[in-house]
Amino acid sequence: MIISETKPIGEILDFVRDYKKILIVGCGGCATVCFAGGESEVKTVANLLRIAFLKQSRAVEIIEDCALRQCEYEFADKIVEKAKAEGVDAILSLACGVGVNFLATKLGPIPIYPGVNTEFFGAAVEHGFWVELCSGCGDCMLHLTGGICPVTRCTKSLMNGPCGGTTKEGKCEIGPEVECGWALIIKRLKEIGQMDRIGKVIPPRDWSSSRHGGPRRLRKDLKLETEAAKPPSALEKNLRSSK
Amino acid sequence: MAEERKPPCVVSCPVMTDTRFYAQKISEGKYEEALEILLRANPFSSVCGRICHHPCEKGCRRAKIDSAVSLRMLKRFVVENTQEYRNSRKREPKAKLNRKVAIIGSGPSGLTAANDLALEGYSITVFEKAQNPGGMLHLALPRYRLPYSVVQMDIQDILSLGVILKCGVEVGKDLTLAELRKEHNAILIATGLAESRSLDVPGIDSEGVFLAIPYLTSVALGNPFHLGKKVVVIGGGNVAVDVARSVVRLGAEKVVMVSLESRKEMPAWESEIKEALEEGIEIINSRGPRAVINQDHRVAGIEFKKCVSVFDQDQRFNPKYDEKNVMLLPADSIMIAIGQRVDLGFARDSNLKTLPAGRLEFNPRTMSLSEPGIFGAGEVVYGPGAAVEAVQKGHLVARAIDHYLKTGQFLEIEDTRPASIGEIPEETFKKIRERKRVEVEHLSAQERVKGFMEFERTYTEEEALREARRCLSCTAGAFVDEALCASCLNCVRICPFGVARVEKTAIMPEEKCQSCGICAAECPAAAIALKVFQTGLMKSEIEEFLRHTREKGKSESLIVCFACLYETRTRKTLLEGKQEMLQQGILLIPIPCVGKLSLPDLLSPLALGAESVVIIACAGEDCLYPGADSLLMRRVTKAKALLSEIQVSPEKIDFWKTREAAEISWQAFLQISKTKTMFSQGEVNDHK
Repeated sequence: MIISETKPIGEILDFVRDYKKILIVGCGGCATVCFAGGESEVKTVANLLRIAFLKQSRAVEIIEDCALRQCEYEFADKIVEKAKAEGVDAILSLACGVGVNFLATKLGPIPIYPGVNTEFFGAAVEHGFWVELCSGCGDCMLHLTGGICPVTRCTKSLMNGPCGGTTKEGKCEIGPEVECGWALIIKRLKEIGQMDRIGKVIPPRDWSSSRHGGPRRLRKDLKLETEAAKPPSALEKNLRSSK
Repeated sequence: MAEERKPPCVVSCPVMTDTRFYAQKISEGKYEEALEILLRANPFSSVCGRICHHPCEKGCRRAKIDSAVSLRMLKRFVVENTQEYRNSRKREPKAKLNRKVAIIGSGPSGLTAANDLALEGYSITVFEKAQNPGGMLHLALPRYRLPYSVVQMDIQDILSLGVILKCGVEVGKDLTLAELRKEHNAILIATGLAESRSLDVPGIDSEGVFLAIPYLTSVALGNPFHLGKKVVVIGGGNVAVDVARSVVRLGAEKVVMVSLESRKEMPAWESEIKEALEEGIEIINSRGPRAVINQDHRVAGIEFKKCVSVFDQDQRFNPKYDEKNVMLLPADSIMIAIGQRVDLGFARDSNLKTLPAGRLEFNPRTMSLSEPGIFGAGEVVYGPGAAVEAVQKGHLVARAIDHYLKTGQFLEIEDTRPASIGEIPEETFKKIRERKRVEVEHLSAQERVKGFMEFERTYTEEEALREARRCLSCTAGAFVDEALCASCLNCVRICPFGVARVEKTAIMPEEKCQSCGICAAECPAAAIALKVFQTGLMKSEIEEFLRHTREKGKSESLIVCFACLYETRTRKTLLEGKQEMLQQGILLIPIPCVGKLSLPDLLSPLALGAESVVIIACAGEDCLYPGADSLLMRRVTKAKALLSEIQVSPEKIDFWKTREAAEISWQAFLQISKTKTMFSQGEVNDHK
C-alpha cells in the first residue's frame, strides 16, 4: 500500500487561501486505509477550511467528494467533469501523489494542490503504524535474500551486506530503532536453510529499472478495443506511451 | 436481500411490539412517541402494562448478561405518564367506508378488531351483554391485578374513534343474530369463554359449591357472596389463583388450592403462584376431586383422589388416577375453577354450526364461522389464552374482515413472524457490562391481603429511564455502505465487542453489535452508520438553530452542546431543559453516548458558524461502551490541535465529564463554557 499522511492544515490553508470555490477530493484506496485522505478526512479538512474562512469573514464555497480511486481514468474523469461543471477555482486532492499528478494532466486551467504527503510503500505492522518494505526499484532480488529487501531495508541499499555498522543487537548504526536489513536477511536465510546464499556475491545491478531511468511505465498485454477501454484524452499521450 | 431478522423480544410478543424502539424512546424522554409505538401494536397497552405475562422478557437477550429488561414495567410507566396526551390526541380513520360491522363481545379481541376496523373506516357497533365493557377484564380479573380504571383507559381510546358501544344488550335474547346480520355487512363473534365449567362428581349440587367466573364477577362488581372460613379451590390455572387470592382478601381463614397437575405442570403463571403462596394459600398438587361430602345438603368437605398422570403419551389431557389414594379436606365452600366454556346463547335460533364439544365450527385459516360474513376471534374460538393473545387475534380478524368486505373473498390468514436473531453469542455477551435490573418493592403479603388495592407501584421517572437504558437496542446497530468501505480493518481492530470482521468489505453481524458507534465514528471511509442513531442527521438541526437564532437578531454567542443522553434522570432536562438552553443560545443535542461523535462531527458546528462546541460525556467508569471515552478524548484532542493550526482558539471546544447526573452538573458546565466563549468574543468586560 502507498502510505501517505495528511499535510498540516496550515499548509493546506496557504495553498487555497485565495480561492472562492474549492473542490476537496479524497481517495477511497490507500489514502483511506492509512487515514490520510478518505471520506472522513475530506469532511475534517473541509470543516477546518470553513472554520478558517469564517474567521476571515470570507465566503468560500467548499465542495466535498471522494473518488473510489484517483488512479483510474474512469474515476479521475468524473472528478474532472465535476470540477468543470461546478466551476471550481481549485482542487485539493487528498490522494497520494499519483492521484494529484493524474488529475493535473486532465484539469486544464484548474489548479490542483496536494492535501497529503506521499511517503512510501509499506505495511501496517500494527494499527496506525506503517513501515516501508519496498522501494519499487523495478528489478526484484527478493529470491536471493530470503524475501527481505536489501534495497529498502538496508540503509545503504547494499546488495552484499552487511557493512561494518551493524550493532550486536542487529541494529543499523544510524540509530538504535532501525533494524539492520542484512541482519534480518541472515536471520531469515538461517530460518529457511539457505545460508549458502550468503557466500555468493550478488553482481552489480542495472538501476535503470529504478528511478535512474526516468519515470517508469508498465504496460501489460491487456489491450482492449471496447469503447470503455479507449484512451481518454490526447493530453496524456506521453503518460501512456509505453517504455 | 436477506430477510430482516428481529430480536427475540419482538418475535416472542404475540403482537410483535417493537420493544427496543419504545425502550429507546423512553430513554430519550419521548414518552408520547413510545406510547404510539405501543398502541400501534396493542390498543390494550394500559391493560398489558399490568397483567401481561410478558413473553418479551423471556426472550430478552439481556437475560444472559444479568437479567431481562423489565419491559412490562416500562410499558406501564409509559401509559401512566402519557394519559393527557392519549386523551387529547385525535386519530382519524383512513377513509369513510359505507360498511357496517357488528362485534359481539367487548373484550380485548373484540375491541382490538373494533379499533382496527374503525381506523380503516368502517362503522362499528359493539354489543356487550354486561352493563360495562371489557369482558373478562371487567367481570373476572381481580382489581388488585387490574383496576377497572386501567381497562377504561384503553377502551375510551378505542371508543374515541367513533365506535358505538351498546352495553346491556344480549344477542340471542334482546335481538337475534339474524337481525344483526341483516343490518351489518359483517359480524364478529368475540364473546370469550364466559361460563365456568362444572364437575361431575357425587355431591356437586350441594349448597356451598360455586363456579369461579360468577364468583369473580361478584367480587369484581363489589358484592361478593359469603363463603365461610375454610375454602377449597379446585383448579391449577390463573383463574383458580385469582379466586383463591380473592377469597383470602375477603377474610377466609384457610384457603387451599387443589390442582390436578403437578407443581411443574400447573398452567398458572409462576409469579401468580409465588404471590399466592406468600399470601398464605396452600397448594396441593396431583389431586383430582372424587366426591363432595355434605351434611344436610350443605358442603362439609371434599374428597380427592391421587392423580397419577394428567396427560397421555400424545400429550392429550387424559388424567389417570389412583382411586385408592383418597384424601379428605374439610370445607365450608368449594370453588370450581377448572376451566371455561363457550356460552352459545348468542347463536340461539341461528344457523351457525357447532361441534359436539359445544364449540363453534371455525376455520382458523379464514377466521370465519360456518355462515359467510360471520367471523370469530379470541377465546370463543381459540380457547383460553392471555389478553395479549386475544389482542393479536383481534388484529388478525380485522384484516380478515376488511379483506372480505373489500373483495368478497376470504383472506388466508398467515401469522408470519420474522426470524429471530437468537441469543447473544458468548464471545460478545462476556464483554458487555452488567447493569442491575430496576425492581420495585411490592406491598408485603400481610398488607396485600387486607384488600383489593394494587400492590405493585409504577416506576418513578428515574427508575424508568435507568431501566429503559438497560435495553441493548438489539439490531439497531452498525451497518456498512459497501460502496464506500475500503476494507481497512479499522472497525475490526477498534470494536470493543469483537463484532466486526472483514471479508470483501466490513461485515457487522447484527446479533453481536451493541450500537456503540465507535466503528462509525472512527471509520476513515465514513462507510459505517448506525441504523437508529446517525450523527450525520444532526447537521440540519444545527443549521436550523443557527439560522433561526440569527434571524431573531440575537447577537450572543451560539453554542452547540453534545451531551450524553444516559446521564439524565428526568426528561425535563431533555425537553424543557433544551428549551431553556435555547433561550441562552445553547443548542443541546443529547446523544446516546457521545463516543459516537466523529472528528468531523466535533468540528462541524464551528464550520456551520457556532461560536463554540461543548461535549459532555458520562463520568467514564460506568460507560456502557468500554474504551469509548478514551477514543473520544483522542478525537477531541486532535480537533483542538487542528484548530490551533489554523489560528483558531482550541478553547472553542470544551470537554466535560458529568458529575453525578445531568441535573446536577450540566448547567454549571455550560455556564463556564458560555462565559469563556463570551470573554473570547470580548462581550463581557473584565469586572475585577
